[in-house]
Amino acid sequence: MANPLLEVKNLDVWYGDVQVLREVSLHVDEGTIVALVGANGAGKTTLLKTISGLLHPRKGEIVFTDKPLHTMKPQDIVDRGIIHVPEGRRLFADLTILENLKLGAYTPAARPFFLESLERVYNLFPVLKDRKDQKAGTLSGGEQQMLAIGRAVMARPKLIMLDEPSLGLSPLLVRSIFELIHTLNTLKVTILLVEQNIHQALKIAHQAFVLKIGKIVMSGRGDELLVDEEIRKAYIGERARKR
Amino acid sequence: MGDIGLIAQVVVNGILFGSMYGIAAIGLSLIFGTMRIVFIAQGAVIVLFAYFCFWLFSLLGIDPYLSLIPIILAALLLGTAFYYGLFREAAAFKDRIGSLLIAVGLMFFLENFMTVVWTPNPRAVVSSYGFYTFRLFGMHFTLVRVIGLVLAILATIAVATFLKKTLIGTAVRAVSEDVEASTLMGINPDRVNAVTFAIGIGLAAIAGTTLATTYSFDPVYGIDFAIKALVALTLGGIGRVGAAFLGGIILGLIELLGTYFVGAAWSQAIVFAVFLLALNFRPQGLFGGATSEKA
Repeated sequence: MANPLLEVKNLDVWYGDVQVLREVSLHVDEGTIVALVGANGAGKTTLLKTISGLLHPRKGEIVFTDKPLHTMKPQDIVDRGIIHVPEGRRLFADLTILENLKLGAYTPAARPFFLESLERVYNLFPVLKDRKDQKAGTLSGGEQQMLAIGRAVMARPKLIMLDEPSLGLSPLLVRSIFELIHTLNTLKVTILLVEQNIHQALKIAHQAFVLKIGKIVMSGRGDELLVDEEIRKAYIGERARKR
Repeated sequence: MGDIGLIAQVVVNGILFGSMYGIAAIGLSLIFGTMRIVFIAQGAVIVLFAYFCFWLFSLLGIDPYLSLIPIILAALLLGTAFYYGLFREAAAFKDRIGSLLIAVGLMFFLENFMTVVWTPNPRAVVSSYGFYTFRLFGMHFTLVRVIGLVLAILATIAVATFLKKTLIGTAVRAVSEDVEASTLMGINPDRVNAVTFAIGIGLAAIAGTTLATTYSFDPVYGIDFAIKALVALTLGGIGRVGAAFLGGIILGLIELLGTYFVGAAWSQAIVFAVFLLALNFRPQGLFGGATSEKA
């Protein structure tokens, strides 16, 4: 079997004196959707930030398309083909939608394909085309998430990492976001998805990893974990009770 | 009628004067926006370029407006050097106290450097057309001041166009909003910061040339100028090029109208009183929109 697109090996990450990730290993195969699930504070966002170069590991390595990644700067990692859509979307609110999309294609690798990528994004989200000259800050929550994902698509990434894309959206929008992730995947984009909406995430994931207090405690196919007794009790049941 | 004519004259001079504060304020706005650095040395840098202009004029006989070309080029290099040599670390950590101290240190260094090189005596560039005036609508215009205003307006339009129309300019605005999110787009913040610093110092070069051709200056003239530029910036509103420029114009008007109506001694007090009032009632600036505070 071919090597995975992304491989994380024995990663230790610290915030000052606090160890957040312990010996984390996972792999993402090309063309798949991989879900990373777990409770608040388990270290999911930390892992994504380490992959995208915002944080550096104390130990371990990250290999992407057979080349090490963990010593590179964030901007160079984007150029290599990984785009990170951070929690809370982090759009440039004072910039227009079109300007946000332009910056999505900022890397030397993506820039020549700007018009082609723009066409693709406008096809996925016609609403962004209608409002292209509007400031991003004026969009609704759902539209902002579309723009965040659209901006990521502009970079022509091999891998998109989505951090809590459904956070703060209405149930109807949550469903359409998950449909969208599925659509992106059929367009041959590999996806690493961090979600608190564990039920939905496991449903669309080919592969899933469960992170608990900085450690991977379980992994398997999404549909397997979905019916796993322990998972249901620990995460899905808990969410159901909360509602 | 004579009175109104005189007031109109004062207004015109205030606008011409304020345009220099305006472009200095734009430089401060850009540098603060992307790097959160209060670049208090801006005034000393302006005076440094006034001396460059003075030297090129008095030693080599180069026309001050022709000297703009080498001076702006030198400014872009100097701005890049300032960033990589002095402010890079502080900018990376958003260390406002650290960067302010570095800027203050740079200011004192430049003041003393200029005192040694050019003596503390006031200098001015007096070209053959330096006193040429013309009448229009019953008012007197000094040619060099009008050229100064035109240069300031052109520089403002150029910077606004750069920020709006180019990809790197868009990146400058993005870094001002959210550095981390910018790096996740593949933007190199160091490059953006260096470009921003170069533009800020480039604007100082234009202000310096205008200063040299319209007023006399000495090595310690800069601090007053830098503080006025900061006031102009706060008055207009941080984050918009046009707002910073208008803030400068308004400041120039207040200063000269204050001198005319109340007297020169009071005009400085009035400037700062208006500044404090504006801060109190419109902290976002007169022309700044509601700034969106990011969580």
